[in-house]
Amino acid sequence: MIPLLTRRVLLFLAVAQLFSRAAAADAADLPVLWAERLKSVVAVEYVTETEVDRRPTATMGTVIDANGTIIIPAGSIDPRAATWQLKDFKVYLPGEATSTPGEYIGQDAFTGWHFVRADAATRVRLTPVTAYAAPVESRKIALADFVWGIGLRGKDEDFTPYILQSHIAFIQSLPQRTGIAQQEVAAPGLPVFNRQGHFVGLALSSFGQTFLQLSRGARSTAVLLINVEESSAILLADEVLPFLNRVPKTVSGRPLAWLGAFGLEPMDRDVAKFLNLSAQSGAVVSEVLEGSPAEKAGVQPRDIILAIDGAPLPQLKPDTIVVRYIEREIDRRAPGDVMTLTVLRGMERLDLRAVLGEEPKLIREAERKYFDRMGLTAREFVYGDAIERRVKAAEPSGAIVHYVKPSSPVAIAGLRFDDWIQEIDGVVIKTFADAVAKLTEIERDDTKPEFVMLVSRINETAVLRVKLR
Amino acid sequence: MPGRAAMSRGFNRLLDAVVRIDVREVAFEAGTRRFTASLGSGVILSADGLILTNAHVVSPRAVEINITLANLERVSATLVGWDHWTDLAVLRLDMDEVKRRGWKVAYATFGESEKLFPGQEVFAVGTPHGLTRTVTRGIVSNKNRYFEDSRAVNGYETGAFNTWLQTDAAINPGNSGGPLVTSDGKVVGISSRGYMGANNLGFAIPSATAKTVMSRLSKDGEIVRSYIGVVPGALQDLENFYSLELSSGGVLVNSVDPGSPAAKAGLRGGDIILLIDGVKVDGRFPEQLPPIQNLIATRPVGSTLKVSARRNGEMRDYDVVTEKLESRVGEEVALERWGLSVRKVSRTFARENQLDNELGVLVIGVQPGFPGAVAGVSRGDIITKVNQLPISSIDIVKAAHAAYETKPAPTLLETQRNRRVSLFILQP
Repeated sequence: MIPLLTRRVLLFLAVAQLFSRAAAADAADLPVLWAERLKSVVAVEYVTETEVDRRPTATMGTVIDANGTIIIPAGSIDPRAATWQLKDFKVYLPGEATSTPGEYIGQDAFTGWHFVRADAATRVRLTPVTAYAAPVESRKIALADFVWGIGLRGKDEDFTPYILQSHIAFIQSLPQRTGIAQQEVAAPGLPVFNRQGHFVGLALSSFGQTFLQLSRGARSTAVLLINVEESSAILLADEVLPFLNRVPKTVSGRPLAWLGAFGLEPMDRDVAKFLNLSAQSGAVVSEVLEGSPAEKAGVQPRDIILAIDGAPLPQLKPDTIVVRYIEREIDRRAPGDVMTLTVLRGMERLDLRAVLGEEPKLIREAERKYFDRMGLTAREFVYGDAIERRVKAAEPSGAIVHYVKPSSPVAIAGLRFDDWIQEIDGVVIKTFADAVAKLTEIERDDTKPEFVMLVSRINETAVLRVKLR
Repeated sequence: MPGRAAMSRGFNRLLDAVVRIDVREVAFEAGTRRFTASLGSGVILSADGLILTNAHVVSPRAVEINITLANLERVSATLVGWDHWTDLAVLRLDMDEVKRRGWKVAYATFGESEKLFPGQEVFAVGTPHGLTRTVTRGIVSNKNRYFEDSRAVNGYETGAFNTWLQTDAAINPGNSGGPLVTSDGKVVGISSRGYMGANNLGFAIPSATAKTVMSRLSKDGEIVRSYIGVVPGALQDLENFYSLELSSGGVLVNSVDPGSPAAKAGLRGGDIILLIDGVKVDGRFPEQLPPIQNLIATRPVGSTLKVSARRNGEMRDYDVVTEKLESRVGEEVALERWGLSVRKVSRTFARENQLDNELGVLVIGVQPGFPGAVAGVSRGDIITKVNQLPISSIDIVKAAHAAYETKPAPTLLETQRNRRVSLFILQP
């Protein structure tokens, strides 16, 4: 005999089934669509190798072409990691315990996607998501539209796939067209489809949700929770499909377009109105970087950028989105491209013609060397370091401490991450090579009891005595 | 006569000279003027009613100072001067009122803190947790404690120019400013702070320092010190590296403030100062640093110091012209109609934060719902311009606020935060 409560539940399920059958009558069977589209998704695992350990990371990706190219979200790889630290890429098909090797191709600056390629054996088992793209004219998505997507469980469950479904709650420009569903609709990085099985968009990393945390006897506190496994935010198909050809030509992602207007800050509506710029937005340039295209174009600190190539900056919500808008305008271009900036300087409007340059060497591209006995990694001083420390970028400037091994001789002496090495044993360090030469000499000398480093940190220097024995 | 303090005439006289101090201060932190009340202790040290207490008990923000005398009667007092560097302040009793009411005021005398020895019996007298006239007993635990902090006196710097007496006589909140005395009632220190959560680790400013500070504060109302911008470090254990004889002394230059007189003269981190104006300086240990700092500080502002320093084995002389020492904390004001409290950016603050100049005021408080908060201004922003006018002095921002008060109109602020420039409009 079935207990009363269970019977009620069964009855409810039966009724619910009736309704859903009726609603889905005009569409193909969802489980069939789901099983087909599973071939467009994979789990990707890789290892980040550091001085002392190997950290595995699992993420999810979408297959975009017949060559087995996979895109994984921007946030799935630490932007500070050098590409040579990323090792052992593996591709897992949903629900399978075994992997095949993958190749890391690089990151595209404009979309932020990292590109990975599956091996030949795996490629044939994959279907690119473009196979499910609807014709341009029928890609429209509207409020309350039904959408569904795929989630993958963890590695311990063989990345078993499951289905998620929801409806579009609202659509926003951030600045890309982004749909927000009522509930989580796919794992970040995985595709979202409509009832017909057409590709609607790519799930972004999810937005935070505020919850009240109640604890006995204490006042409730608000906590922001972010679901890292599933997301309700969707980058719409028109913001995805046209850019799938942006496969990086080099693993570093170069060439990278560079303007060199630092610290863009949005202008809010009140300020726009005060400056008689009612219907549009703008961004204040905080600093103009030394030797940059912006400097050569004549941009000055406190100029307000109003338009790019004659197109006024749109008013987007929230105000800060306008900064992303400008950054994307730069990232979508290539070094050598011309960008005309209309700026407001005082009461004057000026058109400044900037020829975009190549982004100076980034911290993640800087040369590094690890010294195990002392316990530090020294890294090349790059352009960004000069900007951060307010020194001339053109002058050779020594080396930066990139890593300090806990409880190592340098850690005990008080050396910290990001310290700027000025002198080692009284020798002035002018270049990274100087630092490497001096540190190698000390590392090799087993008889040396101690050495002294002069480092600079924030606005101060410190003399550190490192005991080796 | 150790152990028989209460019997001595000196000790009785001291008890009559200890006072309780109740202070009402204005505070600017919340985007408005607020008043806070606090209490501490003090000791009368002259027949004309000069009281010595801590700078963290009475500061220039005090709007009302009430003194409770040994006869439990209350009388008001005024601030004569304060010096956060040594955590000392001097007050003056309203002697007219004292006379009018026919009270007698006892005063204590200084003892010699230099002659104290570790283990010697001392007493702390004061108002711990509001318990007026509490005497606690202990010994001198250490006579030369180094303690320097950049914000320990209500956000102001302290301890660079003096070392401290350490005692195990119980020192609790409210003891601050009260005397630390020997059994004959001589004031050898001014109780200042204790380690919270520790057992009987109390600190006092030695009378040797207190005597000088008191006489200068009562004469001039302030203490002007010289500054060169050298942050010294103890040379301890580094003598070998710098090939120094232990007897030659020396002070390690740990850091030089950018733009400071020492930086202009060419000194930099890692240099070893051996002589100042031909006089040997020995800073091998942290405890030796405050006297060296004090040696520089007590030179007249604008004087030239000949600093002889060693770099990479070579001696060189540097002529360093001293500047007036300034606190990092500038003048504060509440701009109440905007709901903002601001503090002038000082030269020291600007250097510390790598600002290009001293323009602007730092936002230290924002009142929710007021024009500043509505516009998006937040704590930590530096307002550099108001209606396009650079804020070179706090008066400019005061004037703009006064104009807004009489005729509210949209006001444009330019702010800076982590080198990022933003614009905000204050809407009436």
